[in-house]
Amino acid sequence: MLSFAVTAGAASALDLLAWSPPGWGATLVAGLWNTILIALGAYALGLLIGVAGAFGKLYGGPILKDLLAVYTTLVRAVPELVLLLLIYFAARDALNNLLNIYGYGPIEFSGVAAGIVVLGVVQGAYSTEVLRGAILSVPAGQIEAARAMGMSPMLLARRVTLPLMTSAAVPGLANLWLTVTKDTALLAVIGFIELTKATSLAAGTTKSFLTFYLAAGILYLLLSLVSGVIFGRIERWARRGQRNAGGGGI
Amino acid sequence: MKKTIFAVAVAMTFGTAALAEPLKIGIAAEPYPPFASPDAAGNWVGWEVDFINAVCAAGEMECVITPVAWEGIIPSLTGGQIDAIMASMSITEERMKTIDFSDKYYNTPTMIVTAKGSGLTPDAAGMAGKIIGVQVSTIHEAYAQAHFPDAAEIKTYQTTDEGFQDLAAGRVDASQADSIAIDAFMSSDAGKACCEVIGAVADDPAILGAGVGVGLRKGEDELKAKFNAAIAKVIADGTYETISKPYFASSIYGG
Repeated sequence: MLSFAVTAGAASALDLLAWSPPGWGATLVAGLWNTILIALGAYALGLLIGVAGAFGKLYGGPILKDLLAVYTTLVRAVPELVLLLLIYFAARDALNNLLNIYGYGPIEFSGVAAGIVVLGVVQGAYSTEVLRGAILSVPAGQIEAARAMGMSPMLLARRVTLPLMTSAAVPGLANLWLTVTKDTALLAVIGFIELTKATSLAAGTTKSFLTFYLAAGILYLLLSLVSGVIFGRIERWARRGQRNAGGGGI
Repeated sequence: MKKTIFAVAVAMTFGTAALAEPLKIGIAAEPYPPFASPDAAGNWVGWEVDFINAVCAAGEMECVITPVAWEGIIPSLTGGQIDAIMASMSITEERMKTIDFSDKYYNTPTMIVTAKGSGLTPDAAGMAGKIIGVQVSTIHEAYAQAHFPDAAEIKTYQTTDEGFQDLAAGRVDASQADSIAIDAFMSSDAGKACCEVIGAVADDPAILGAGVGVGLRKGEDELKAKFNAAIAKVIADGTYETISKPYFASSIYGG
């Protein structure tokens, strides 16, 4: 009897997750796709900020260093959710008021744009620190040797600093990628339909909370596993020629 | 790939609203049966969705339905992300300070639902010491705050549906909501199993408002006139009755 009930439950769960309506599979996968797009955009923006921020913190002037310290401290101190609401509602009003003063019409600040900007700015602060640490891990002797060979700063960066720091940076950057894939769930709060919001809509409409939240958990897990394989390859590539090259991935 | 994402992001950030664009009708991104809830294909269905389509057709307006989080729906309107709110939003004096409303398009009473056999009454004495669940930023929240001062707690939820789920789970003693939303919950399996409606609350027009209207930005009188004319047309030509029939036994237009 019990096993029969379980089988019936499994069958209806599969029906609910079927690809085409009345199953919600396509809706969930569309949500996952939005999640991936925002994560990719935010991660790319974060890396750009991170590279600039790390070099700025290490080699910039005193004012730039102070400004970057304020940025990484503030952003890492304030919860992402607060930053998101601040940018989505407050910053947009301020920006539109400003544009109004100069006679421009209001701009639309979509959930996707707000999400990419907020998560990108947050990622930037963390990757600044990850990359700064990676640059510092390059042995000073290697850099001195390169300088003794007469390398220009650009050649030194290309041949010595960047290749050596990459292997140290990849594990930290892989962590940041995993964080951003899950931080995208914050966008559910502003009504943007990514994986978490799509799941809560499906669960709320069908009342099958367990089925849908489990399915979402599995989709997030799959995303992490695929990311792990990719980052494992990147790390093996970054560590080529080094001893103890194993242990990549997530 | 990166380039595409950036181009898309930039376009979405800096794309200014051209005048020829269709009207963005904001609805709450939550299941609110029978008014608006998503179906498995990702489309929004329900009485209010049918009504939006009917009004837009009657007013010869091109509309797109844009789901927005309920708590942010008024900032989204004033910020220009949407052009009108048609999300079962009651016309109240409080909201009139920020936005404008069209004529009402439906008006239904406010009810309270509790666990079966609770013996509670929908008044201040009955709610004393009880936990009441309401949706945040609604007339129901304002009403419960004003009329049930002795309640143990007024618990707010992002969506009405979540409030009902917590009533079914026994985390709140009572849920206050629109009668039609309560009817929809009571016809679900969870609602049938757990709960009963104990009746309507005493009316308070200052808080409960004068029915549901289309929320519009202040000063857009031309658009408001267009909506009023379209709503009047939909009611006069019988479309209102036709779209209501599959959902409601009697008219929800109210007095």
